[in-house]
Amino acid sequence: MTGTSRTIKVDTLARVEGEGSLYIKLVGERVTDVKLKIFEPPRMFEAFLRDRHFSEAADITARICGICPIAYQMSAVHAIERALGLRIDPAVRLLRRLFYCGEWIESHTLHVYMLHAPDFLNYADVIEMARDHREVVEKALRLKKIGNRIVQILGGREIHPISAAVGGFHRVPTKQQLRELVPDLEWALASSCEAVQWTSSLEFPIFEQDYEFVALRHPDEYPFNEGRLVSNRGLNIGAAEYEDHFQELHVKHSNALHSIMRGRGSYLVGPLARFNLNFDKLPAVAQEAATKVGLHPPVKNPFRSIIVRAVELVFACAEALRVIREYEPPAAARVEAPNRAGSGQAITEAPRGILYHRYALDDNGLILSSKIIPPTSQNQRRIEDDLREYASHLATWPLDEATWKCEQAIRNYDPCISCATHFLKLHVEREEK
Amino acid sequence: MQIIGCGNVDRGDDRAGILVAERLRDLGFRAEIHTGDALALLDRWPSDEDVIVVDAVVMGMPHGTIRVWDVGSAGAELPDFAADAAVSSHGFDIAKAIELGGALGKLPAHLRIYGIEGRQFERGAGVSPAVLGAIDSAVQRILAEVRFP
Repeated sequence: MTGTSRTIKVDTLARVEGEGSLYIKLVGERVTDVKLKIFEPPRMFEAFLRDRHFSEAADITARICGICPIAYQMSAVHAIERALGLRIDPAVRLLRRLFYCGEWIESHTLHVYMLHAPDFLNYADVIEMARDHREVVEKALRLKKIGNRIVQILGGREIHPISAAVGGFHRVPTKQQLRELVPDLEWALASSCEAVQWTSSLEFPIFEQDYEFVALRHPDEYPFNEGRLVSNRGLNIGAAEYEDHFQELHVKHSNALHSIMRGRGSYLVGPLARFNLNFDKLPAVAQEAATKVGLHPPVKNPFRSIIVRAVELVFACAEALRVIREYEPPAAARVEAPNRAGSGQAITEAPRGILYHRYALDDNGLILSSKIIPPTSQNQRRIEDDLREYASHLATWPLDEATWKCEQAIRNYDPCISCATHFLKLHVEREEK
Repeated sequence: MQIIGCGNVDRGDDRAGILVAERLRDLGFRAEIHTGDALALLDRWPSDEDVIVVDAVVMGMPHGTIRVWDVGSAGAELPDFAADAAVSSHGFDIAKAIELGGALGKLPAHLRIYGIEGRQFERGAGVSPAVLGAIDSAVQRILAEVRFP
């Protein structure tokens, strides 16, 4: 094999949200080039937002992604609330956490069962998997529906919710409306614990990397939408300092910008980062689910992210039940948000990792400029670094199998390419000399 | 008979299914709009009724072409949508949802898919003239189907 040149190309990455393309060049066992290519007209949302009133930001940014609209809305409203100096009712804060629970449940369920699990069980897709594991897939559909239901009750509809607003919500649910979710959520909690067991029984490649994990950390809770930004290598900053420590780069082969830590390089955001940096903040039921299957931080094998997502499903169901138990409707659904010049930043934890928003407003409340950095673009460089290392392990594999394993390695990150670029078309070119 | 129009109001020709459903609803038919993910359809369509789903497709047909597939638990042909699943704006697309429904025994007894070939799907784009014309034709064809089964 020494000196033999091989190229792994995937024309269309399957089972990722959006479109992406992969190119890997191997000479012998050495990976000489890796490109995760994103072919989509550059993101225009930051331009769409210019000169719009801040009250429209939640609606506009929700359309960046159909799978994680809540994270976009919440990052937007938090950043704008910071710019305006608004304080939020504690009941609204609770509802926002419930909102995240809904999104994490539907997003993680989709990824664990429909997008990622087929890889581990050697099925081409979930449809093939459903023929042999019907009960598992039916449970997944029911679990996803519960997440969708939370989003619908709080947000007004499942996709691109309409209720989130600067200062709170346009409308809040009654205690009774939320209580109706309890039986389903109790089922979901038990089902999620089973998901941890089930995913831990899958077979995982032996592959670990020395990552810099980056996630929010809050003194009292597993993070959704508040906290400082920390890493396992000493980072500890507020959202306002994000751009001092992180940089976006335009790379020739991609229309998604790559993010790096200044002076450091690639980093990893998402469930592994949150789990490794916040295990102590998980509720007991989630910690127990993890330790029962031998999962404890630091988890450095990205393939095991499927188990971590299942643990986060346990957390999201338990947290949803807690919020519903404690919730009392606020005196007002939202506080008034005056037009005022200012700027503000916010970071929240989308299912795939930290999502950064920054807004500058003028005296009339119009958006002068904005910046939106999604988790998948932050992970892009890290995905390529993983592939550079992992593909060298596959140098002696048949090309088809090696290609499929590389796609699986990308799916470890649950990439939402629609957020990162709004459609990435994957082209695989095969070349053997 | 239940009609379900799928799509995204913000993405040009992807509004086709929604506009067909709205027109039929105005004419008194049971027609609903579905803008959510295709997986949710598995719970939305009644298993004991005839169902028609309308959606935009990209299959390399001439712009504005209408193609109809007869699917259902009778095991008839599945839509031969482009293998490139990435063109779907729904994430998990309708073709996959139908296949999954078939694997789980969750398809209606009679299911017909009306696909309207679109071209412009950019965010904020309007519906193209070819698709607007196809919407008229699709409505007429469904009316004829319902009146003369």
